[in-house]
Amino acid sequence: MLDLLNIAKPFADMDTPVDAETERAVCRWLYAEARFLDAERYQDWLEGFIDPEIHYWMPDMETRRRDDPRGTFSYGEAAYFDDNLPELTIRVKRYNEPSAWADNPATRHAHLISNIEVNATDDPSLLAVCSAFTNVRNRNEADQDIIHGRREDVLRKVEGGFRLLRRRVFIVQNVLLSKNLNTFF
Amino acid sequence: MCEGGCKGAAKGRPDMKPVYPRAASYPQYAGLVDRKNAQVDRQVFVSDAVYQAELQQIFARAWLFLAHESQIPNPGDFIRTSMGEDDVIVVRQRDKSVKAFLNSCPHRGNRVCMVDAGTKARGFICNYHGWSFGIDGALRGTDGKVYEKDQSFEKAQIGLTPVAQIDSYKGLIFATFDPDAPSLAEYLGPFTWYMDIMLDNDPEGTEFVGGAIKSEIDCNWKFPAENFVGDILHAFWTHQSGAQAILGGGVDLGSRYDELAFQASVYGHGIETNLDKVGNTRTLGYPELVDYVFDLSEKAKDRLGELRARAIGAVSSCTVFPNFSFLPGQNTFRVWHPRGPGKIELVVWTLVNKSAPEHIKEQYRKGVMMTFSPGGVFEMDDGENWEYSTRVNQGFVTRQQPLHYALGLESADLERDLPGHVHKGSLNDANQRLFYTRWAEFMEYDNWTDLQSGETAPPQKKAVEAAE
Ligand code: FES
Ligand SMILES: [Fe+2]
Repeated sequence: MLDLLNIAKPFADMDTPVDAETERAVCRWLYAEARFLDAERYQDWLEGFIDPEIHYWMPDMETRRRDDPRGTFSYGEAAYFDDNLPELTIRVKRYNEPSAWADNPATRHAHLISNIEVNATDDPSLLAVCSAFTNVRNRNEADQDIIHGRREDVLRKVEGGFRLLRRRVFIVQNVLLSKNLNTFF
Repeated sequence: MCEGGCKGAAKGRPDMKPVYPRAASYPQYAGLVDRKNAQVDRQVFVSDAVYQAELQQIFARAWLFLAHESQIPNPGDFIRTSMGEDDVIVVRQRDKSVKAFLNSCPHRGNRVCMVDAGTKARGFICNYHGWSFGIDGALRGTDGKVYEKDQSFEKAQIGLTPVAQIDSYKGLIFATFDPDAPSLAEYLGPFTWYMDIMLDNDPEGTEFVGGAIKSEIDCNWKFPAENFVGDILHAFWTHQSGAQAILGGGVDLGSRYDELAFQASVYGHGIETNLDKVGNTRTLGYPELVDYVFDLSEKAKDRLGELRARAIGAVSSCTVFPNFSFLPGQNTFRVWHPRGPGKIELVVWTLVNKSAPEHIKEQYRKGVMMTFSPGGVFEMDDGENWEYSTRVNQGFVTRQQPLHYALGLESADLERDLPGHVHKGSLNDANQRLFYTRWAEFMEYDNWTDLQSGETAPPQKKAVEAAE
């Protein structure tokens, strides 16, 4: 397996930036994805953005001493998401149920994406993409949850665009300051 | 600041002995639970005064869950947790015993441990003035030479405040701040018979896998605790979407519900179960896990008997009073730490049998994540219910209105020979009534003799005592 696809590994140095045209295309793709998630078009997101071989991981962030070899997160331990396609599909199925009460009335979403860096990899069909995000959810009158974090994506180039093959999501919270995570990042 | 005459301290030296708070009696709060009318006054969910009394009467006295032995296997391994709102460090000692201390430096009170967990610590050093403590909690050293020159300074007297008692039951470590509390075995009473469904269905015992997930919910801690003690009713409505997503159908109690399902309660601890073998396990969404639990259930008949073997993966839930809950079959274990009357910090872990194959442990880890973690398709829909059940009571008139806890008033099961107060059917408010009765006992009684012989005490025990 390419190191790139090992979910436990960070990207090596991001020192192979792609040309401006590819970068534009990836930015457009990321913004479109955010727009689909804002609109809760989860089924379309699965079908239009997600690669069948997806590995989508958002670990629990622990507070550890700097000299602790375990570090802040560790693959194989507690995670909010550690999903392949079947798991993502189950989550989307719940959203599609009329009795998904925590989403009815509807949540108002804003996925803000920034700090985008797009790098070429050893495999010409794959791109390494870093970004940062602010995720805002607001419900009912004044229930607001804000989550900030970073993402490390591997995108597969496909006919007419890209597919998300691997995503690592690192939020900055230790205790999740929200009652649930009724969104994707 | 003793000027002499106080016990255990030389003149001029401060008395640094640990202080364990005393309980009082709050009959006015106990009265907020109306047993006769099966009602709970909504003040218990929002009142600051009631909440402070809970910290004193319940969280400073009850045995509270700290950790699983497997989280801290080696000397110096530690985790940080809470008992009520008190920050606590739990550390494995060199002799393999476990100690727990308040996470507060006796100098100015700063926290001495800032992290969630760690391994092989040699001690804890306070960031403020550098006092250092051994893993046994004793003061080891102070920064610089200042204290050594100070005649009145006596290191041996100073240390992190230990919990009053610590003990474990089949891998689960509990502690209490009350030196007068009865033993853990006595506190749990015959409820251990039900806990063994999860903790003793296999000779090799259990472990936690994969660490903890922590999250905040803006609800009173008693709503989730009462939910797990005996509210399977909500599953059909609240969790309809999650069940559809994973099972392709609603939560199903099967055809033998009337014959098999029951609730049992001992000292406010409670289990509701349907004895349908794998209803809970099925919701984790991995067919291999269902097969594993079917086999386990067969094998466990010798250890646990037919009835408890059927409960290992069944539609069921449990709370150990006051705030430690778990789901057999789904294997999520959790504590609802109080953070004021309107907030909790929820910590969740996954329990597995040590002997389970690695891929089964991995499926439990992922299955719990998919169902009972903040992004899980079941847990997702719980939080908002508890938040608004709490928050609406800010309304002055709203909080005067009665709440209905009267499902199954006539359902006591006097035939079935099972430990505790047994009620027919798991769709029942019986355990929740007994949970609040226990809560009222803690508010009312300032001593353990009364606490252990009230209405929530196991009936057999009461009969024996009456005969004496
Ligand atoms: S507060 Fe800990 S050393 Fe002063
Ligand atoms: Fe629930």
